[in-house]
Order: sequence, then structure tokens, then C-alpha cells
Amino acid sequence: MTTQILNFEDVKLYYDHVYALKGVSLHINEGETVALIGANGAGKSSILRVITGLNSLTEGQIYYQGQRLDGASPDEIVKKGIVMVPEGRRVFPFLSVKDNLMMGAFSRTDKAGIKQTLEKVLVRFPRLKERYYQSAGTLSGGEQQMLVIGRALMAKPKLLLLDEPSLGIAPKLVQDIARSIVEINRDEKVSVLLVEQNSRMALSISHRAYAMATGSIALSGLSAELLEDDRVKKLYLGG
Amino acid sequence: MEQVLTNGVYLGAQYALIALGLTLIFALMNVLNFAHGQMYVLGGFVTYTVYGQFEMPFVVAILASAVTLAIVGALVEKFLFRPVLKNSEREESSMLLAAGLAFFLDAVILLLFGEKQRGVPKIIDGVMNWDFLIIIPYDRILIGVLAITFIVTFILFMQYSKPGRAMRALAQDKVAAQLMGVNVTRYSMLGFALGAMLAGIAGGLLVSIVGVNSGIGGPISIKAFMMVMIGGAGVISGAIAGGFILGMLESIGLTVLVAYGDMTYLLIFVSLMIFLSIRPQGLMGKPWG
Ligand SMILES: Nc1ncnc2c1ncn2[C@@H]1O[C@H](COP(=O)(O)OP(=O)(O)OP(=O)(O)O)[C@@H](O)[C@H]1O
Ligand SMILES: [Mg+2]
Repeated sequence: MTTQILNFEDVKLYYDHVYALKGVSLHINEGETVALIGANGAGKSSILRVITGLNSLTEGQIYYQGQRLDGASPDEIVKKGIVMVPEGRRVFPFLSVKDNLMMGAFSRTDKAGIKQTLEKVLVRFPRLKERYYQSAGTLSGGEQQMLVIGRALMAKPKLLLLDEPSLGIAPKLVQDIARSIVEINRDEKVSVLLVEQNSRMALSISHRAYAMATGSIALSGLSAELLEDDRVKKLYLGG
Repeated sequence: MEQVLTNGVYLGAQYALIALGLTLIFALMNVLNFAHGQMYVLGGFVTYTVYGQFEMPFVVAILASAVTLAIVGALVEKFLFRPVLKNSEREESSMLLAAGLAFFLDAVILLLFGEKQRGVPKIIDGVMNWDFLIIIPYDRILIGVLAITFIVTFILFMQYSKPGRAMRALAQDKVAAQLMGVNVTRYSMLGFALGAMLAGIAGGLLVSIVGVNSGIGGPISIKAFMMVMIGGAGVISGAIAGGFILGMLESIGLTVLVAYGDMTYLLIFVSLMIFLSIRPQGLMGKPWG
């Protein structure tokens, strides 16, 4: 039987004057990579922000491993094993690559474990090792993306939330990042929620997907099937 | 000349200590703490009471100043700045609060300690005389060395400890720091307490040289803001550079300009205005390095 790691029940989020989420229900199974696609302003980032506690939802419930999640503070949520890589990378520009990675492990206290994770991250992203003592702000966009993914892995997440990791990155590097996501999910048993505008990439590396339109889920299903779906082709894959 | 430089370094170390606390609070919370000088004065009076009145060891007095001001800083953050920053998006709100706090602390200090200039017995007697090039009393050397020790300790703490790293991260990107599990509320309080503590330590150290009186809070705040503006707001290295530059200018001015009356600060203000119109972000102006 598959168990669900995350579960949204009719979640609504109201900003100043608009509903960014108009009642979203979705779930992620343990060990799955789930893609979330949709146009600008559809509400993808809003979903990640209510999971991480950056925004409090207006109505509905979120369950994580069977327990109520909404209402917890962002730092408590990180401790529970949910870590987000935010939109636009957001490295700490004046901290070294090393200190950025160490910030990722902020919520952990097991020194030996942290060291082990650090070694694994540096093997996965050798570029970070080459630039270990450099200020993160001086890295290229692609390197910064590797850094923020590495930084998130330092927390040893059970559920990794990625907000548009391909945005503003050279096509060659997008492939590298995509491969890393697959490996992280497969080798380290991390469940992944991947938000992407690059729908083709997202659908090709995920198990299932949800497509959003203005605050609600428009379509969902197995990614492989959605890739062949005419509506998806028309609306999300550019014809 | 050597004498002027020595005095400059000695003054600069005190000033840098004051500026560091101010810049830390600004970097973490975007708060301009106009009450920083009053926190310095409070630290001075605590050391005056513990060392001068109760005749306990000087070290104990400095520790008492540090602890008292850390507590005051934490309480001020928790009960004054936190609610205001939470409920108001306008920057002026926290500035008005800080200005109000400055007047309030002035009044409290006046009430508790009176208006008299207070001094304490010398911590050590004697004067070092190096070939008549540098003449400096031993107590000034000791206080200078202590100030530099506190500065270095603070830098090491910010650079290499886990809470220090978290505070630098928080200053650079609050949301990203939150996403790493940093409890912003707790760390803002910690930062405010640390900043106030640095002001308190500086006040405690200097009471042994220049004494303290209830009216100097305002002028100290102004000097602290000048240093932070010279160096660049929110940057550790900027606060230190600003402190030493101001200390040096003051030392040079007091020697060179002595014949023309007390116009050192007039010249410093004019140069600062010119400097800021050319380089408004200060020497190291970048958000926290
Ligand atoms: N802080 C805010 N205040 C008010 N409205 C907001 C705020 N943040 C987002 N919104 C609105 O909520 C809606 C959903 O935004 P969200 O960022 O979730 O979209 P998105 O799908 O991630 O878009 P993008 O692809 O551009 O990142 C948008 O209409 C947006 O304008
Ligand atoms: Mg978004």
C-alpha cells in the first residue's frame, strides 16, 4: 500500500483582495516526484508557501505523514523534514559556498551526520567543491541553483519542494539539474514536489503531475500520460 | 605624531565597539536604534555602581554591564520593537519608537543616577612613557586592549559560530534564512540583545577613563550613526572602519586644531556631508559581509 507523505484538503489562500488558491486538493505519495505546472500567477508558488508556513492558509487543511501541518511555523516545518528551494534561488550572496551549505544544516545537531551529508552533496555537485570558499553571490546562475539544491539537501529532507529550478539557466545545465532531481528522488528516497514552467522537463522526470489554472487544479494524472494528453499539449506544452 | 596615532587607535577601538552594536541591529531588523547612546550610558552607570560604589572587581562590573544591557535589549525587542514591526509596515514607526525610547531611557537614567558627572577610581595607576614620543596612561592601554579583544571576539563569533552564521544569513535574506529553519523572532531578539550588550560594554569600559553622565546618550548616538554612515550601514567591517576613522580624525583634530578653538567636529561634519554626497552607501556599503 502506498502511504501519502503530504495531503492537501480543499486549501484556500486569500491575499489582500484575491484568492490565490481557491480550494486545492492534492497529495504526494511517499517516494514520489510530483510535478506542479501552470502559467504565471496560477498559484504554484502559493502552494509551496503554505506548505512551508511562509503564508498561513485561509481555509482547509494540510496533513504531513498523517499529522496536521498547517499552523506550524517555518522553522518547525523544516525540523519535520520539509525543505523548500525558493523561486529565484536566493543564495546568501555574501556568505561563502561553505557557509551557505552549513546554513542548510541549521536545523540539525548531529555533527557526524552533517559531515556525511556534506561529503555526499560535494560529490553530487563537484562544482561547489571547486568554489567552496568563494562568496555565493559570485557564482553563475547554474552554480547558484546547484548550491541552493545542495543547501536544501544539507537539511536531510524527507520532502523537497523545488520552485522553478530551471528558471534563467542555460539549457545544458537544465538537463544536469533535471538529472540531479531524478537521482535525489531515486537514491536518497526523498519525495519531491517540483514546480516548473518548463512543463516538458517537469513531466518527463516526475511520476505524477497536477496542472494549475488560476488558483485551482485543472488536470491531474500520471506524467507519462499527461505528456500525450491533447489538452496538456495545447495548454502547457505550447501546441 | 606617534602620540596622535596612539590616541586615535585607543579612541577608535571604543568607537568601533559602539558602532558594531548599532550596525548589527540595523542589519538584522532594519531598525535605526536612536537609543543606542542611552544604552551606552546605562552600561556606564552599571559599571559605576558595581565597581565605583560597591567596590567589586572591574571585570565583574563590565560583566554586569554586559548582562544588564543584554537583558534590556532583549526586553526592548520583545515588548517594543517586535509588536511595532509586526503591526506596521512603515519604516518611520520603528524610527519613532527608537526616538521615543531614547527620551524614555534618558529620563529613567536621570531618575536613577542623577545629573552629576560620575567617575570611578583608576583601575591601574601609572603612565607609560616611550621616549617622550608616546605618553599614555596604563589604564588607557588596558581599556584599549579590552575593547579590541571584545571586537575580535565578536567578529569570531559572527564568522565561525552557528548563531553568528545564522545572523549573517538573516541579515542577507530573511526568507531564505527562515526556510533553513532559523527562527526569525528568536534571532531578532538575540541580535538586539547582542547589539545593546556591545553598547553597554563600551559604556562600562569608558567610565573608567572619562566617567559618565546622564546627558551624553544623545551625542554618543550621533557619533555612532556617523561611524556607521562612514563605513556603510549594516556591514561589520564598515562599523569597524568607521569607528577607527572617527577616532583618528578626532585625535588629529584635537591636536592640530587646538589653536583654533574647538572646531574638530565642525570640520568632521562638513567632511562627512561631502563624503556622503559622493558615496552615500559609505565605504563598504553592501548589505552585511
Ligand atoms: N504577497 C502577495 N500579495 C498579494 N497577491 C499575491 C502575493 N503573492 C502572490 N500573489 C498573487 O497570487 C497569485 C498566485 O501567485 P503565485 O506566486 O502563487 O503564482 P505562480 O504560479 O507561482 O506564478 P509564477 O509562475 O509567476 O511564479 C497571483 O495572482 C499573484 O499576483
Ligand atoms: Mg512562482
